[in-house]
Amino acid sequence: MDAARARRAGEAVSERLDGVARVYDEIAAELEQALAHVRVAAEHYRNELVPRGAAHAWAAHGHLLAARDHLEVQARDHADHAVAEPDT
Amino acid sequence: MARGAYLMQLGTVPYREAWDLQRSLAGAVSQGAIPDTVLLLEHPPVVTVGRRTDESAELHLPADAGVEIVETDRGGKSTFHGPGQLVCYPILDLTRHGRDVKRYVRELEEALIRTIAPFGLEGQRLEGLTGLWLSPPPRKIASIGVHVSRWVTTHGYALNVDLDPAPFTEWITACGLEDATFTTVARETGRPVTVADVRPHAVAALGEVFGLELEELPAGDGIGLWTQPVHAELAKR
Repeated sequence: MDAARARRAGEAVSERLDGVARVYDEIAAELEQALAHVRVAAEHYRNELVPRGAAHAWAAHGHLLAARDHLEVQARDHADHAVAEPDT
Repeated sequence: MARGAYLMQLGTVPYREAWDLQRSLAGAVSQGAIPDTVLLLEHPPVVTVGRRTDESAELHLPADAGVEIVETDRGGKSTFHGPGQLVCYPILDLTRHGRDVKRYVRELEEALIRTIAPFGLEGQRLEGLTGLWLSPPPRKIASIGVHVSRWVTTHGYALNVDLDPAPFTEWITACGLEDATFTTVARETGRPVTVADVRPHAVAALGEVFGLELEELPAGDGIGLWTQPVHAELAKR
C-alpha cells in the first residue's frame, strides 16, 4: 500500500470512529437527562408531589429508551462489521 | 373511536421545570414510549417571550416586579403566566392528528371555546390573531403558543381564569398587541371561579376535540409507575 492510500484509509477510519463517538455522546446526553429527571422525581415523591414525580419518571423513561435504542443500533452495527473466526 | 392518552394534573410548577418536562415527554411520545399526553398546571408569576417577540417594544417591567423572564422556543410574542391561569400543554403526535399545524391551533381554539361555554361565555376567534377572545369590545381571555418538532407538539394554551390581568398591559405588551384588553373567566361571569372549577371542562373539551380518552396519571393516592391500561396496550405492540 502506498503512502497516499494508507493515509486515506487512516482518515476513513478516523471519520468512522468520530461518528461512533458522536453517537456515544448522544447516548451520554440522554442518560444524563434521564438521571436529572429521576433525581427530580425522587425529590417530588419525597415531598409527596405524586403527579409531578410521576411526570418526571415518565420523562426519564423516554430518555432511557432513546439511549437503549442508540446502543442497540451500535450493537447491530458492530455485529455487522464483526468477522467470524474461521474454523480450525 | 377515541384514542387513549395520559392526563397529568401537576399543580403549580415553575416555568423552566415544566418546559424541561415537556421536551423530555415529547421525546417519549415521539418514540411511542408513552401515548399522547396532556399536562394541566399553573405557573408562579413569569413572563415568557416567544420566537417573534420584539423585547425592546414589548417588555416594560417595573424594576421591582421581581418576576422571571424566560426565552422560549414557542411561536408568538410575549405573555404573562401566573396563579389563577389554567395552563395546558398537550404533547400530541400530530401524525395521528392530521399533520397540520394550523388545524392543530384551530382545534386548540375550539377546545377553549368548549371549555368556557359552560360558564355562559361565548369565545370567538379573531381573524389574523391567535388565542381566544370575547367581544364586543374585543377582550382576550386565552393565549396560544405552540412548538412542533418531528410532528410532536409542546407548549399550548393559557386560559385566564381568575387573576389580575394588569401584568399583560402594565409589565408587557402581551402578544405584541397595543391597546388590547385582557380579561378572565371570573371577571366575565361576575363571580369567583377557580382553576379547579374550569379544569374538568378543559379535560372534556380536549377529549372531544382531539378524540382522546384521557386517563389521569397517576391518581393522587398511588406511587406513580404502576401499570396503566393505556401503557399495557402499548407494551403489547
